[in-house]
Amino acid sequence: MTAAPMEQDGYNLRLYVAGQTPKSLAALANLKKLCETHLPGRYTIEVIDLMKDPALAQRDQIVAIPTLIRQLPEPLKRIIGDLSNAEKVLVGLDIAPS
Amino acid sequence: MASNDAMQAARPRNEAEETVEAIHRGNVDAVVVQGPSGPQVIMLQGADAPYHVLVERMSDGALTLDADGCIVYVNSRLCALTGLGAQELVGRSFASLFIGSVPQQRADDTASDAQLRRADGGDLPVSVWMRQMAMGGVVATLVTLTDMSIQRRAEEVATAERFARSILEQATDAIVVLALDGRITHASWVAEQLAGRSPVGHMFSEAFALDAASASQQGTLARFSRESLDQALATKPFHGVEVRLRDPRMSGRSFLLSAGPLVNDAKDAVGSIVTLTDITERKRAEEQQTMLVAELNHRVKNILAIVQSVAGQTLRTAPSLPAFNKAFSGRIQAVSIAHDILTQTRWIGIGFNELLTTVLAPYGVGEGRIVIEGPPVLLEARLVLPLSMVLHELATNASKYGALSAPLGQVTISWRLRDDRQRLELIWLERGGPLVEGGGSRGFGTTLIDRVVRFDLDGDAVLAFEPEGIRCKLIFALTAETTPEHLPASAVQPD
Repeated sequence: MTAAPMEQDGYNLRLYVAGQTPKSLAALANLKKLCETHLPGRYTIEVIDLMKDPALAQRDQIVAIPTLIRQLPEPLKRIIGDLSNAEKVLVGLDIAPS
Repeated sequence: MASNDAMQAARPRNEAEETVEAIHRGNVDAVVVQGPSGPQVIMLQGADAPYHVLVERMSDGALTLDADGCIVYVNSRLCALTGLGAQELVGRSFASLFIGSVPQQRADDTASDAQLRRADGGDLPVSVWMRQMAMGGVVATLVTLTDMSIQRRAEEVATAERFARSILEQATDAIVVLALDGRITHASWVAEQLAGRSPVGHMFSEAFALDAASASQQGTLARFSRESLDQALATKPFHGVEVRLRDPRMSGRSFLLSAGPLVNDAKDAVGSIVTLTDITERKRAEEQQTMLVAELNHRVKNILAIVQSVAGQTLRTAPSLPAFNKAFSGRIQAVSIAHDILTQTRWIGIGFNELLTTVLAPYGVGEGRIVIEGPPVLLEARLVLPLSMVLHELATNASKYGALSAPLGQVTISWRLRDDRQRLELIWLERGGPLVEGGGSRGFGTTLIDRVVRFDLDGDAVLAFEPEGIRCKLIFALTAETTPEHLPASAVQPD
């Protein structure tokens, strides 16, 4: 999706969605805005549509959609919902508000 | 409030707890559950709203069936196609939607054709696609219906267009279709040939520069300027105006110009169909027919005059009624044979040799009693009748009194061309017949020969009654210098 060269302290994010459900679309929009504001040039987002391949849910044990997974930096973190609460997302991803 | 949330989020929490809370707060719109064949995404209420809008807006009819084939959902397009409301459709059986066979799901995932029943009593051709799906443990069938009537109509229009096009291509007349402004929209193959290029897109008067074919037709065409002719042809019916094309390639050819309105389904004129029929051959045939009728009239009058004259003269010289009958029949027979020859040769003419053979057939021309010698000569049609009558008189005389009346008598007919092939000299020589006594007889036969040769053949006849038999010399012109309009001399009463 939005790709940037990975750095040492880069964020590798994975967003699980279900087609074009309203929460999925909102989550993706919120995430992109947040990353551009707080992590410019330091993130990658991979969007996985479970409508197309539900089996991919097993990899990160997804039970609700949308769900955001922070793969890197470790440890793995998980945020469920449409990511509309920016403050909560920043805390959840260990990103210091700028 | 926000910092309170953040503090809560920062607290290590059970993932299950977090998931339940997200669902509870309405932050998720789908969940993943373990189905019989692996993980399955289940939409929560509202999650399918975008799809619902798309389905409602799509141009195909869509419906969902339950496991019993009962309709559980229809989109608005399906309501429009059937003419029924959603409330009337939901709960009905799928089969009740169709007239005739009910479509089934196909193994190859393609659509099948069916007739959709409409509320107004009509029906609609549709293409039906179906797929059965397991949805959260229940089996449902998704169906789409595509209205094929527009496509069918388009196919019909295309077929009609091809049909019209093939008529245009094969028509022997030049046919063009004009729009209301006089511009050509379609043209037949012949029209293209006449115009020397594709006339489509041009004004009619540009593509076909016309002149009236005759002074009498000039008035009709002269009433129009170029522009007004285009207008008139496109909007008014035109019948049979004879015209010529100014194109030098078409000089000498005549055409019949006609135009009739082209109307649409609503009976409104949308242009016209203009035809240019090549009538050159027809006119030529008409002229020939007129000429032939005049000629026939002239000839019939001639023949009647001849018959009248022959009858009168034969009556005057015949000693008895049986003698009259015989002589008259023979002469009329000669006229008849001459006419047969003219008809068979289509009034073109005949070889002299052939004429002699035909006319003298009853007198033994093929039995060695009549010998024919001379170069090939083609006789004009006008010479056939007078020559036939002269030959008939000579042969009749010979068979009654001359060489052909005796068993060993013979007639030799010889001829040559003279005066630069302008004239023919013929010698009729009888030998082996009874001795001819002093001077012979100048009866009707000899008078007729003399007059016919002089007036009809523009020649001379010299009849010598030699003791061994008759010698007759005929000299006559092969080609007429002027066409004589008078009646043949054979029709003229003798002095």
